[in-house]
Amino acid sequence: MSLKGKRILIAKPGLDGHDVGAKVIALALRDAGADVIYTGLRKSPEHIARVAVDEDVDAVGLSILSGSHKELVSEIVARLDDLDAGDIKVFVGGTIPPADHEDLKGSGAAGVFTAEMTIDEVLAEMDRELAP
Amino acid sequence: MSRGNGLDPKQRRALAQSLTRILDASVEEALAGLADAGPEPAQRLGMTGPPGAGKSMLICRLAARRLERDRRIGVLAIDPTSPVSQGSILGDRVRMETVAEHPALYVRSVPSRRAHDGLCDNIADLLLTMEGFGFDDVVLETVGVGQVEFAVRSLVDTVVLVLVPESGDTIQAMKAGILETADVIVVNKADLPGAGKIRAEVNAIIRRKKGDGGWLPPVIMASATEDNGIDELDDAIERHAAWLAEHRDREATRRERSRYHMQNLLLRRASEVLDGTAAESFDDALPQLFDRLVAGLTESREDKVGRRT
Ligand SMILES: Nc1nc2c(ncn2[C@@H]2O[C@H](COP(=O)(O)OP(=O)(O)OP(=O)(O)O)[C@@H](O)[C@H]2O)c(=O)[nH]1
Ligand SMILES: [Mg+2]
Repeated sequence: MSLKGKRILIAKPGLDGHDVGAKVIALALRDAGADVIYTGLRKSPEHIARVAVDEDVDAVGLSILSGSHKELVSEIVARLDDLDAGDIKVFVGGTIPPADHEDLKGSGAAGVFTAEMTIDEVLAEMDRELAP
Repeated sequence: MSRGNGLDPKQRRALAQSLTRILDASVEEALAGLADAGPEPAQRLGMTGPPGAGKSMLICRLAARRLERDRRIGVLAIDPTSPVSQGSILGDRVRMETVAEHPALYVRSVPSRRAHDGLCDNIADLLLTMEGFGFDDVVLETVGVGQVEFAVRSLVDTVVLVLVPESGDTIQAMKAGILETADVIVVNKADLPGAGKIRAEVNAIIRRKKGDGGWLPPVIMASATEDNGIDELDDAIERHAAWLAEHRDREATRRERSRYHMQNLLLRRASEVLDGTAAESFDDALPQLFDRLVAGLTESREDKVGRRT
């Protein structure tokens, strides 16, 4: 696994207040060798994009349980583009119905993770997407 | 120096990417990337103190005051690297949210990597790069291991030591002599019981320094959560800066920084050589191995790559 040295922002946009999933993923990424930047709850898309640029991350991992994943993902991808940072990959995880996966990928998500996936599967997919 | 103007998105991206390059640079790359003429130095502040003392939150409160004076502020916040996975969780910026959107503030989270002095591997280079982007203030938050963070002394103008009422921090600090290296001491979490007792203890220790005519560190009571005591902290930092302007031996400061930088480069180079040494080599007799590795210190990476192929 070559997540070593990768910088990854874990962020929670939207209104739900549950960050256990985000914290579990953050710890798993650290244990896989990544440097994980964590921002608190309920961050706006503008804020997340700015932090991603300031921290020069390779990827942003969004945890969304509020159901507004479609809007939030396209909004964040757009804000990253505004900042000329379209190369920063966006992953999204949470309660996301299978029917929405293709839409999310269409709006620029590099990977969509569901609660059914194991942590190892999530890490492996991120690793694959972030390989040079 | 740039007054009142924030960093535009292009500058932010350029700065962020330069810092990443430096974080990942080998010693050789770091040396090649050093600017010839040093940029205008920023006012450098170091925030040190035990884990959870409130360093990040105090930086946030302080930054809010200083941003009002149209200062451009850069923060390097160091958190520990896991010795097991080499990964890290960098959480300092969570506590800086109230000023996070300000255009004249830039916060970068930095893993400590191999450094054991509360700082990170390439900190001297990171600071110089920040200064190249016209910051008025550069604030360094150390890891917070508490006992051995003298190194920050060599790199910043004003060391702020953050203590808290709980625990016997002052006793530990006395042992390690940390109190003596601080320029400003903050007793944070003064909203909790026991703060007055800590202040009295610290004052008693500090007073012994009185009479040598030097700077006497003020002890300030603060509460980052309640936003109390921050003006006093800001004022103490400015008084210390004014004192430095009058009394500091600039030449000695420059030499001390250069010495730390060189020590840092040498240690990193030694690690590079060790990392590039095959496991079987450590079966050899130590004196011969030592000589061979020392010779390796001056070998450039290109030579090594060339020889291997
Ligand atoms: N009661 C009280 N709690 C505080 C105060 N300042 C900070 N805290 C709390 O202390 C905790 C740690 O604050 P941080 O600012 O993250 O402390 P830190 O020194 O940066 O921590 P590390 O970077 O992890 O070493 C948080 O939960 C804060 O809410 C204060 O003045 N009073
Ligand atoms: Mg902190």
